[in-house]
Amino acid sequence: MSAPAAERALPGPFVAAFVYTLRVCVPPKRAALLALPCVGALLFGLLARTVPEPTAAFRFNAIAGALFGLILPLACLVVGDAVLGAEVRAGTFGLTWLSPVRLSTIVLARWSAGWLIAAGALVPAMALSALIAGVPEAVGPIAIATLAGTAAYLALFVFIGAAFKRAAWWSLAIVLLGERLLGGVLPGIAQFSPQWLATMVYAGLGPSAGELERAGMPTGAAAVGRLALLTVVFLLLAVWRIRRLRLAGTVE
Amino acid sequence: MSTLPAPPAPADPAFASEATVVVDGASVWFGPNVALNEVSCSFGPGVTGLLGPNGAGKTTLMRTICGMLPLNVGTVRVGGLDPRVQREAQRALALVPEEDASPGAISARQLVRYVAALHGVRDRGAPERALTTVDLVDVADRQVGGFSKGMRQRTRVAAALVSDPTILVLDEPLNGADPVQRVALIELFNRLGDEGRTVIVSSHVLHEVERLARRQIVLVRGRLAAAGDHHAIRSAIADRPRQVLVRSSDPRRLAAALVGVEAVSGVGVDGGDVIVSSLRATDLAHALPGLARQADIRLLEVRPLDDSLESAFRELVR
Repeated sequence: MSAPAAERALPGPFVAAFVYTLRVCVPPKRAALLALPCVGALLFGLLARTVPEPTAAFRFNAIAGALFGLILPLACLVVGDAVLGAEVRAGTFGLTWLSPVRLSTIVLARWSAGWLIAAGALVPAMALSALIAGVPEAVGPIAIATLAGTAAYLALFVFIGAAFKRAAWWSLAIVLLGERLLGGVLPGIAQFSPQWLATMVYAGLGPSAGELERAGMPTGAAAVGRLALLTVVFLLLAVWRIRRLRLAGTVE
Repeated sequence: MSTLPAPPAPADPAFASEATVVVDGASVWFGPNVALNEVSCSFGPGVTGLLGPNGAGKTTLMRTICGMLPLNVGTVRVGGLDPRVQREAQRALALVPEEDASPGAISARQLVRYVAALHGVRDRGAPERALTTVDLVDVADRQVGGFSKGMRQRTRVAAALVSDPTILVLDEPLNGADPVQRVALIELFNRLGDEGRTVIVSSHVLHEVERLARRQIVLVRGRLAAAGDHHAIRSAIADRPRQVLVRSSDPRRLAAALVGVEAVSGVGVDGGDVIVSSLRATDLAHALPGLARQADIRLLEVRPLDDSLESAFRELVR
């Protein structure tokens, strides 16, 4: 029998911050918002069945751009903004900040909890999308691409949450204008774009997905490595930025 | 003949004798707005009241003490550490913020246990004791979002107490509390001060701070306006120049009689009213009844024209 809550031993700071983030960062409204892109992924899977391509794998390739360019960033934005930006805006981040815990521990705990939530929602949705599209052999590659993509996006949005007051708007602008629009025509931007790199992971690992490759960009495991590097860089930037956070509350 | 050493200068009431928190030349601005302007003071064991009208810079000063806001100029030291940079300083600190911001989707017990865990509290009974102190233990499993404002405030107090801080910063802690809770919280804060903790309590209500703190620091428009015990603050406010309206049976004769009074710096007649300016309102209050009796004038009404606390604070920095 488990001990009542009042008598349980207190966890360490990392576990406490991790569990707290899991508890508070996706309240019911945000969970509903997170469900939208996940449902969208399933609908794209259905849509793939109607694409006039010779094989199911090619049909799935046709909607992969939307899965990685729209569903992945939007779902990560819903969670990523909640992990830090929403708490800073609401004035509740002070509870966490006012502790002797290292800021890097706080950032890491929040990012990992956010990653767990985002990946926990998106990986099954993306995998189901592949199954609905009739490409079961794409389940593994798309799961890996989604895992790596969500890690980088969550780190990016944690950084934006620490850097900008209107974090959600900045995140949307970076995803839609920076990555999607500019990254579509400028390969230099795509090299550092989580959505393009996630697409490249799938391009390298997915069945008959070579047609999604972009010249000069890493694919497959190399793209996973690039995403992991980006994740680390964004997390370091988040720690650097959080040190300069002005928690003015309502006085500013 | 040897010269006697100069007598020690009277201690500056803005500085505590055994300081645990030292603010030196602190200035903070938000764009063009100066929130704190070269404030120097210190806080030591016991309860210190931070008094001032809304927008005086109390919250900004408290947040800089906690390291939540960077200073543009000056330094803040908490136990010798910079709370903005040295995270270890947070071990001694706890803040009850003014704003009513609590994560809603979490119970009071979970919230207090979370803060305890972040502070590395080993005593697993500490969260229950903190909840008991603020009388929330019976509802501790309810979500904070469903609490009343006063209960949310007490949850924040419990979260602040759970780490057994030696320096407690309380920003308008009585906001939202009902009269019974106010009495209990005031007793609690006084007890914490008596235990040797540094307790800094802000308020814009003078009589509230007087019940809480023997030593007070007054901020007005971001500047340190006065410091000392509550008698010193009261008399500083009482001795400010103020205007008094006197309604009487013979305003013109009363005005003429008032011209010779030492405490009066100006007299004017406005219809049936006499407007008296005085640098020493207390002396004027003592002199006025005798003067009226001598001149056989009946006083109908005497009231200050600018007696709001805010105007009193403003005068302190003029």
